[in-house]
Amino acid sequence: MPDGIYSQMMKELSEGKYVFTGELEPEKAGNVDEPIQAAKDMIGLVTACNVTDNPQSFAYVSSLAAAYKIQLETGMECVYQLRCSDRNRMALLSDVLGAGTLGLTSILALAGDHVALGDTPDAKPVFDLDSTTLIHMIRKMVDEGKDLAGNEIEDPPKLHVGGAAAPGAAHLKAEVAKVKRKIKVGVEYIQTQVIYYPDILDKFFKELGPVDVPILVGIYPAKSFGAAKFFDEYVAGVDVPPDYLANMKKTKEIKDKEKRKEEVDRVNLEFFIDFLEYLKGTPSAGCHMMAVGYPRIVGPLKKVME
Amino acid sequence: MIAQEQKPMEEILGYLEGKKNIVVMGCGGCATFYHTGDKKAVDDLAAKLESAGKAVTKISMPLGMQACDTEKSGMYLDKNRKEVENCDALLLMSCGDGVQVVTEYTDDEMGLAKNVYPANDAIGLVGGGPFKFKETCQSCGMCELGKTAGICPLTACGKGLMNGPCGGVRVDNKCEIDEKKDCAWVKIYERMEKLGELDDFMSMRDAHEWGKCKRPRLFELEEPMTMMDMMGAMMNFNTVTGYTSLMLAKKPEKEKEEEKA
Ligand code: SF4
Ligand code: SF4
Repeated sequence: MPDGIYSQMMKELSEGKYVFTGELEPEKAGNVDEPIQAAKDMIGLVTACNVTDNPQSFAYVSSLAAAYKIQLETGMECVYQLRCSDRNRMALLSDVLGAGTLGLTSILALAGDHVALGDTPDAKPVFDLDSTTLIHMIRKMVDEGKDLAGNEIEDPPKLHVGGAAAPGAAHLKAEVAKVKRKIKVGVEYIQTQVIYYPDILDKFFKELGPVDVPILVGIYPAKSFGAAKFFDEYVAGVDVPPDYLANMKKTKEIKDKEKRKEEVDRVNLEFFIDFLEYLKGTPSAGCHMMAVGYPRIVGPLKKVME
Repeated sequence: MIAQEQKPMEEILGYLEGKKNIVVMGCGGCATFYHTGDKKAVDDLAAKLESAGKAVTKISMPLGMQACDTEKSGMYLDKNRKEVENCDALLLMSCGDGVQVVTEYTDDEMGLAKNVYPANDAIGLVGGGPFKFKETCQSCGMCELGKTAGICPLTACGKGLMNGPCGGVRVDNKCEIDEKKDCAWVKIYERMEKLGELDDFMSMRDAHEWGKCKRPRLFELEEPMTMMDMMGAMMNFNTVTGYTSLMLAKKPEKEKEEEKA
């Protein structure tokens, strides 16, 4: 790896390659067999995979443990998602040091959904840091070998920190100002929330203007109507297009399992191939495919960009 | 002031199970203002307890006599010493502050060991009125309002973020957690834009110094307010003109109607 670059994803982004990342979701279970299988299925198709941290505030296997195990067993580079909802700055620091120790090379720093949205609504929400101060803390750890209180860190971790952006935010100007703030404190890459509408992304890029930080645009090919509907209902700040949702709903009527799968793939390809064609003309540096539990769609989609 | 609402009867009766003689004490501070400690509220709760077979002694502290003030609640407890001594439990119509001040007083000053139960749930420091109130401050001990255009990032933002907005802002700029509430960070943005402070908005505010809030915080007053100070503060020209203006002011019927709708 070149100097100061610790991950394959950062290497490819810095070389200007169009980068694809995938997403793996640990579950409420005593193992991570499913995401391990999904990671294996995506080897060679994506550069790295995000490992989600209690998405939508549903409490699952620790993303640190999952990312480590998946990376170890499959060789897939894992982007460790870390949210502020459940940990104070000490626990965050410990986990970042832990990630470095375990050989993880990239963290996606998130505020995280409020615990009230998930399956453990009586938990005490933490939010001691927010996404910006978490990014700042990680950069301080890596670059200066110090924690937020100024304490020295021996053999600082070597990893990259990314942040999120929500191009579909209700208040675009405030959102863009926040993204610029993250850039100011040293975020190294950005992965966006899921986007379905080109005009929304265009507005976002226009408002943001040219920036030095690579931006990977999030898309969500859903493996079933249920998954798409869940996304529509539970993911804060995202509306799934009604047409796409209706087409996905129709697939439920197909009794034969294999035929249904084919139809789901067809609906997804129809929608997302157009979207990917459009992405080629945007300033995006890559595409983050949150095709959770749906690795078979990644190959056919990626072909569009070749 | 500290907003509060009365707990469900079921919970209150749960605490009092197997207990017969109850002292119900209503606070003359915030609880009176929010109808959860005034004389009528004490009477109503007492009636409900009596119909559930309890023998009730009522202590209604008048407006200005707060349960959280040891001197004041102590005075009323002492006046009713016999009833307090004989009761199986006290039920406090106040915030948790009042409950604990009374617990300490009965323990330490009266030498009694009594269960003091809360009748109310305290909601927090709220501002607004006369009908609608909003929690605005959590007394964090290190005020950040100077960095956020006067809107509390810890209280007004559902996540208490120092650097928002989060990615969950809903359409109409409502909060991710509750569609009835405005996103505080959109409001902070809009105020800072008006104030010409967008550069500050785009700069990182440091993480909040929670070290300034080591609970329980203690506080000392070198010169406590005397009775004469209090009288002076209450009975002067400003009080008279202030209360007169409030009395003559047009009733905010519109807000009331909105509330009903
Ligand atoms: S920052 Fe918020 S909670 Fe703290 S003192 Fe100021 S208004 Fe109150
Ligand atoms: S929507 Fe706004 S107020 Fe609500 S948690 Fe997010 S930033 Fe805070």
